[in-house]
Amino acid sequence: MGDVVVRIDHVTKRFAGHVAVHDLSLQVPSGGIFGLLGPNGAGKTTTIRMMMNIITPDEGRVTLFGGSGTGRDLSARVGYLPEERGLYKKMKVLDHLIFLGEAKGLSRVSARRSGKAWIERLGLGDWSPRKVEDLSKGMQQKVQFIGALIHEPDLLILDEPFSGLDPVNSQVMKDVVVEIARSRRTILFSTHIMEHAEKMCDRVVIIARGEKVVDGSLAEVKQQAGARHVALAFTRNAANAGRVLADRSLVARVDDRGASAEVELAPGSDGEALLRALVSADVGISRFEIVEPSLESIFIAKVGAEAARPAAREEVHA
Amino acid sequence: MRKLQAIIRREFVERVRTRAFVISTVLFPTLWGGMIYFQATVMSRQTRTNNVVIVDGGGGPLGQRVEAAMREAQLGKGAEAHPKYIVARIPADGRLQEVKDSLVRLVGLRGDSVGHLDGILVLSDTSLTTGAIQYLGSNVASPAEMESLEDVLQPVLLTARLVRENVDPKIVERVSGRVKLDKQKVTEGRETGESGTTSFLVAYIMGFILYIALLMYGIQVMGSVLEEKTSRIIEVLASSLTPFELMLGKVIGVGSVGLFQLAIWVGSAFLITTNLGSVLGMMHASPEAAADIPVPSIGPGLAVVFLLFFGLGFFLYASLYAAVGAMCNSQQDTQQANTPVTMGIVVGFMTMFPLLNEPNGTLGRILSLVPFTAPFATPIRYSISPLPLGEVLLSVAATTTGMLAVVWLASRIYRVGILAYGKKPSLRELARWVRTA
Repeated sequence: MGDVVVRIDHVTKRFAGHVAVHDLSLQVPSGGIFGLLGPNGAGKTTTIRMMMNIITPDEGRVTLFGGSGTGRDLSARVGYLPEERGLYKKMKVLDHLIFLGEAKGLSRVSARRSGKAWIERLGLGDWSPRKVEDLSKGMQQKVQFIGALIHEPDLLILDEPFSGLDPVNSQVMKDVVVEIARSRRTILFSTHIMEHAEKMCDRVVIIARGEKVVDGSLAEVKQQAGARHVALAFTRNAANAGRVLADRSLVARVDDRGASAEVELAPGSDGEALLRALVSADVGISRFEIVEPSLESIFIAKVGAEAARPAAREEVHA
Repeated sequence: MRKLQAIIRREFVERVRTRAFVISTVLFPTLWGGMIYFQATVMSRQTRTNNVVIVDGGGGPLGQRVEAAMREAQLGKGAEAHPKYIVARIPADGRLQEVKDSLVRLVGLRGDSVGHLDGILVLSDTSLTTGAIQYLGSNVASPAEMESLEDVLQPVLLTARLVRENVDPKIVERVSGRVKLDKQKVTEGRETGESGTTSFLVAYIMGFILYIALLMYGIQVMGSVLEEKTSRIIEVLASSLTPFELMLGKVIGVGSVGLFQLAIWVGSAFLITTNLGSVLGMMHASPEAAADIPVPSIGPGLAVVFLLFFGLGFFLYASLYAAVGAMCNSQQDTQQANTPVTMGIVVGFMTMFPLLNEPNGTLGRILSLVPFTAPFATPIRYSISPLPLGEVLLSVAATTTGMLAVVWLASRIYRVGILAYGKKPSLRELARWVRTA
C-alpha cells in the first residue's frame, strides 16, 4: 500500500475536432478498487486506452507501477477488459482463454490450468468445448472477463464491466472483483452507474468533458460535499413538497425522485426549517434523515444535470 | 516471443482445423489433376486403330504406296503393338466425286454390317505434284491423330516424288530417315533426364501455385485483420502486443498454413510419382504407360529459389493485404480497397507467359528486379534455365529491400487503422497515418 500503480500527469488527448481529455492528472494507489466515473463521452475510455498504451497522449505522461515501461511492456501485470467487447466467434471457449492467457505471456500449460479453473468458477463448465458464437451475450462477457484476469494481473482495468449484465451475473463478477481487491491487488473500473461505484469503490475520480471534477476516497468526497443533505420520502401531497423544495432560501439543490428526494440545504438554512415548511404545507412524511450525500447526488451536482441525463437514462437499462 | 508464438499458433491451428482448409487441400489438386488429365488425353498421341478408306483418284503408284505405308504403321511397341490403320483402297479414276460422296455418308456411323469408318483419304491426280491430300473424317479434331497421319503421308509423298524424278528407290530409302531430336534438359551442369515438356510443366505449375497461394492466403490475412477489427478483440491484443508484432504474427501464421498445404501437395505428388507404376496398376493401366507420363523433377537449387521467393512475395503481398484489412470496416469496403494489391499479383502472374518464351531477355531481367513481379519472374526463369548466382542474389536483394519498405509502410497503416473506426480513409488520410509517429 502507499505505492502508486497508475500515475497520470497533465495528460491531454485531442482527436480530430475535439479535446477528449484535457490536462488530466490522477493517481491510482495500490490495492483496492478505484472508480473512474463520468457521464458518457467524458473521456473515461480514452483515459483507459492511454493507460493501456493503445493510444498515446498528445501531452503529459502516463506511468504504470512507477516505472518507465508502457502498458504493453507491462501487460503481464495488467489485465484489461475493454468497453467494446469482442472475441473470436469461431474459437472454442477454453482455446480462446488459453490464447488470451498466452497473449499476456502465460505458458500454455498454466494458461490452460487457470482457464479451466475460472471456467468452473464462473459456471461455464459445460460450455468450455463449445464455440464462442454458441454462447449468450452475457456468457461471452464472462469469457472476456476471465480473459482479462486469467494471468492474475496486479492491476485489472475494467471499462464498464457491468453494462449489459443481468443482476445475477453482475453479482458474480462483483464478487470476483472484491475478492481480487482483498488480495491487495488493484482494480480500476470505469462506470457511469453511480450505484455500482458507491457500493464498491474505495476511491473515485469523476471526470466530465475531459477534466477532473472530483478526486478522493469515497469518505473524503462525501465529507467535502458536506453533511447538509436530507433524504426525504413522502406519503401524500408530494406536489406540495415540490413547491417547498423549489424554495431556494431553504434548499440549494434537489434530486427529486417523485415519492422521494434527496436535497442539499441552502446556506443559512437548516433541517428544522425545512421540516417546518414541509409540515405546514401538509406533506405526509415517512422519512426525514440528515444523511451523507449519495455519490449520485454529488455526481449530479458536480457534473451538472445536463451531462448526467444520458447516464441516468442508461441506469434504467442496467 | 511467447506472445508472438501465440498469435502464430492461433492463426495456424484455427485455420488448419476449418473445413475450408481440408476441402481446398483435396479439391485443388483433384481439379487440377483432372484438368491435366483431360488435356493430356486430348493432346496425347494416337492410341486406337483408325478405319480409313483411301479414295484413289490419281491412278498412279501414289495410292498403292500410301496404302502400303498405312498398313505398315504400328501403334505401341513390342507385344503391345497393333496396327495404326485398317485400310481399304478404292480406285476411283474419273468418278472421284461420286465415290467420295457415297462414302462421306458412312463416316462416323456405327453399324455391325458396315463397321466403323473413321475417315476417307482422297488422293487426286494432282496430289503428287501439289501435295494436296484431302482427309474427311470424324476424328479431325484430334491434333494427335491428324499429326500422326501427316507423319505417315509425308515420307510417302517424298519417296513418290523422288522416284518420279528417277532417283533410285534404294537411295531414297536411305536418305529419307527423319530427325529424331531427343530433348534433355541440363541443370547445374548435370543431365536431369527431364524433357522440354516437363521443364515447361514445372514453370507453369510453380507460377500457378504462387498465384493461387499469394492471392488465397493474402486475402485470408485481410479477412483475419478485418475480423479482429470488427469484433473489437483487437483492443485486447493491441494492449499486449505491438501492432507490428500482431501483423507479423498474422502474416507468419497464415503463411505457414500456405506452406503446410503446399507441403501436403508436394509430398503426395512425390509419393505418387515415385510409385507411379503401382499407382497406375491400381487404376488398371499398364505400368509401361508410366514412361509416357512426364514427371517433373525439382532440383535443390530450384526448390530453394522457389521457397525463398514464395516467402518474400508472401510477406510483401500479405502485409499489404493486412493494411487493407486494417483500413476497412466491412467486407464491402475491402472488395474495393484490395483491388490494387490483387492487381499486383495478377500482373506478376501474367508475366509468366512472355517469360516462358524468353526467360533471359531484357524483360525477364527487369521483372526480376521489380519487387512486385520478382516473386513470380525469378523462380519461373530459374526453372526454365538456371540463372547465375549473381543474378539470383541481385533479385533477392532487390525484392527484400522492396519487401521491407512495403512491410514498413503497411505496418504504419495497420497500426493506425486497427483502432480507427468510421469512414474509410482517403489517400491523403492514409499518408497522414503513415507519417504520424
